[in-house]
Amino acid sequence: MHKSIAASSALHIILIVLATLSLPFMSRKPIDLPPIISVELIQITDKTNIPYAPKAKKIIEEVKKKEKLVSEQAPPKKVKKEKPDAIPLPDEKPDKIKEIEEKKQNPEKIDDKIKQVSEFEKKEMFDPNEIAALIDKSKEELAETTVKSNKVTQSRDKNMNMSGLTLSEEDALKAQIFGCWSIPLGLPYNENLLVRIKLKLKPDGSVVKTEILDHARMNTPGQGFYKVLAESALRAIKLCQPLRVPSTGYERWKDLQLNFDAREMLEG
Amino acid sequence: MKKINFLIFLLLVFLPNKSYSLIEVDITRGNLNPLPIAVSPLSSDEKTKIALEKELTIKDVGSEIAKVVENNLRKSGLFNPLNKEAFLQKSDIAHHKPRFEDWALIKSQALITGKVSLQEENLRVEFRLWDVLAGKEMLALAFTTVPKNWRRVGHIITDKVYERLTGEKGYFDTRIIYVSEEGPKIKRIKKLAIMDQDGFNTKYLTLGNELVLTPRFNPTNQMVTYLSYFKNLPRVYLLDIETGLQEVVGDFPGMTFAPRFSPDGRKIIMSFAKDGNSDIYTMDLENRIVEKITNHPSIDTSPSYSPNGKYITFNSDRSGYQQIYVMKSDGSNVKRISFGNGLYGTPVWSPRGDLIAFTKLHKGKFYIGVMRTDGTGERLLTENYYQEAPSWSPNGRVLIFYRETKTNDKGEGFSAKLWSIDLTGYNERLVKTETDASDPSWSSLLSN
Amino acid sequence: MNLFKIYKNTLLVVILAFALSACAQQQKSATIDSQIKDDVFIGTDTVEYLAKGVPDRVFFATNESVLTTRSRETLRKQATWLRANSSVTVVLEGHADERGTREYNLALGERRANAAKDYLMTYGVSSDRISVISYGKERPVDSGSNPLSWSKNRRSVTVKAN
Repeated sequence: MHKSIAASSALHIILIVLATLSLPFMSRKPIDLPPIISVELIQITDKTNIPYAPKAKKIIEEVKKKEKLVSEQAPPKKVKKEKPDAIPLPDEKPDKIKEIEEKKQNPEKIDDKIKQVSEFEKKEMFDPNEIAALIDKSKEELAETTVKSNKVTQSRDKNMNMSGLTLSEEDALKAQIFGCWSIPLGLPYNENLLVRIKLKLKPDGSVVKTEILDHARMNTPGQGFYKVLAESALRAIKLCQPLRVPSTGYERWKDLQLNFDAREMLEG
Repeated sequence: MKKINFLIFLLLVFLPNKSYSLIEVDITRGNLNPLPIAVSPLSSDEKTKIALEKELTIKDVGSEIAKVVENNLRKSGLFNPLNKEAFLQKSDIAHHKPRFEDWALIKSQALITGKVSLQEENLRVEFRLWDVLAGKEMLALAFTTVPKNWRRVGHIITDKVYERLTGEKGYFDTRIIYVSEEGPKIKRIKKLAIMDQDGFNTKYLTLGNELVLTPRFNPTNQMVTYLSYFKNLPRVYLLDIETGLQEVVGDFPGMTFAPRFSPDGRKIIMSFAKDGNSDIYTMDLENRIVEKITNHPSIDTSPSYSPNGKYITFNSDRSGYQQIYVMKSDGSNVKRISFGNGLYGTPVWSPRGDLIAFTKLHKGKFYIGVMRTDGTGERLLTENYYQEAPSWSPNGRVLIFYRETKTNDKGEGFSAKLWSIDLTGYNERLVKTETDASDPSWSSLLSN
Repeated sequence: MNLFKIYKNTLLVVILAFALSACAQQQKSATIDSQIKDDVFIGTDTVEYLAKGVPDRVFFATNESVLTTRSRETLRKQATWLRANSSVTVVLEGHADERGTREYNLALGERRANAAKDYLMTYGVSSDRISVISYGKERPVDSGSNPLSWSKNRRSVTVKAN
């Protein structure tokens, strides 16, 4: 034991002397590498989403039964009505979480490298069942509209002309949303940057429901920017509420689709 | 049958509100303003505060880490960190249960909260990122490290937040190696220096006894290759940052310069000048085999590999003037790609692979610009009296370069500083350094 | 009367100042013209001597490494002197001005020093006695940011090595 330590230190000293002699211009001492940082995932479940948790849980159950279409976006105005006190805080179940995390981590790696984050983010917002339900439902709805429009007869032409927004109505709405939408600046400018969102509106222009039409893209690998873009569009809608809708003809615009396209802005 | 048809017709006529087709509105414009974000100071209990103050001599590490994050976000140009004085909710409560209405009220769209604690000897920092408008959590992580590493925790938090909100990797937990400069212009003293991306933790790697130039990181950030005039023999050197050991790369009978690592870190590509002719060579660091890549009586220099290692872009005056060329990594298929007015130099392939950054000299002005790898789509990002040597951030979004000032008639007022600019040409910023600085090279992310 | 005198004096001073500044202006451009010919420095400022009548340096045009008639004359003098002093070895230091990228300038300085070396060799100086080093733009002799300073910095200097 002592022998090996002595030998090792002697060899090291020789090395250092050699190095300093042959390279007198080198720095006095090696600079230290940044110390290690270990990363641990802390819980991010529906529970952390405190104000909405009970509702979200209910919603998810509903989705599982496939009874009703749900939006992942709960209306913010209802926040206060919930009882946050009743909800367990994150700290109340740390032991359990830690256990899970420890199982996940590779014990050898923790010491020499910074432990990287796993894919936990995925479970954070999108319950697969929920997404499946959304996709299914949107397909259904799409089919419905197609059927409907196929059935439209000649006699309805007049109404068809009335069905769009007038130019000034559309301009007012566009101008409002242009102001609310902060386009994320880091997006790749050569990708398909179209996010289509379907809205259900109240007569006063507040949003009852939002639905991302290409929801599947949200979690497609390599399309991380799509999620970012979709979230920015959702933020824009939230920020703009109530939307500047025409004062009349609620039936015309109670369902509205907004196509957010960032290409023009990012290319120009 | 006819009856049924008629019934359907009737139904259609008398169900008018179901028949409107869905109105679509195209939103093709938005604002490119930085995203308003609130960085709540990271909270910690009194005991932790006292213990950490003793060790780090910093009053409140939690709020210092928040400052690191805030500063990073602001400098990225993509975020607008809001003034803390406007915050309505206390940081420790916000971390568990943000009142989103309060944060929305101050126009914040995202919120960062966190908590600092001590676990035995170690610093444990947890943070959460919240979407204020949607009222939900987007990210939650905790880091454990030695307390003196607290700035790095701030950088890693920024990287995670940046990635979650922009969809691309960050560049904050990185370092920059550069040449520190001091003294009069005709007798500059130059040293290798390394610092955190935000200008902190500067360390000097050489003493300034000999001229050193153009340091560049290897892909794992443990090695640096650079040019040293040790014993008045300009040669490419290799420096191991961990051990501090330095060695000459190869035994060339003349000046070797303009070194860079290959993307796999196994080779060094560089210029070798002999008898008035500079050509490009590679040297395998393992078996020391040297390969000649270009063979032309002109000056061939400033080589840089594409990220997949299949191509090399370089600088040559074979057309009569300095221009940018691309070739396969074995030296075949040489193609000139710069055809604009002026001279082009220092091509560097972007880490994304789609662009080449360069220095352009035209009508007495220097520009930093980018072009596609086939030479199309040239965009000049910034113009000045003298600037050159762009280096990419690891996510390919920001360029760092150096700029020298014009001296007055007496030859006074010279300075050299590092600057950064976004790929968009916006967000030009001075990068703080302890001394004058040049030849910056950006590391890859340290925490990967 | 007094007032008039002051007025007159002021006028005189102003006129003189104008005249002088015009003079200075002219003189300055004249010196530049007389020191640079076809983008190459031909003055004597910064030039040192290896021996009496043997200048130590030659100058180049921007981005060029071609020797001018004047440079060749200087190098022939150096060759003659080197042949007469056969124990002397020299280093040729090639330099560039600050108006170019660092790496290209290193190559350019090397090319300039080698142009001088080749010429010395054709006039009978053995290549063993000449070594070459390029400093690119790292060691200017004049720190100015103007065409005259740059022209002085574009140079190859013959330095005694022993």
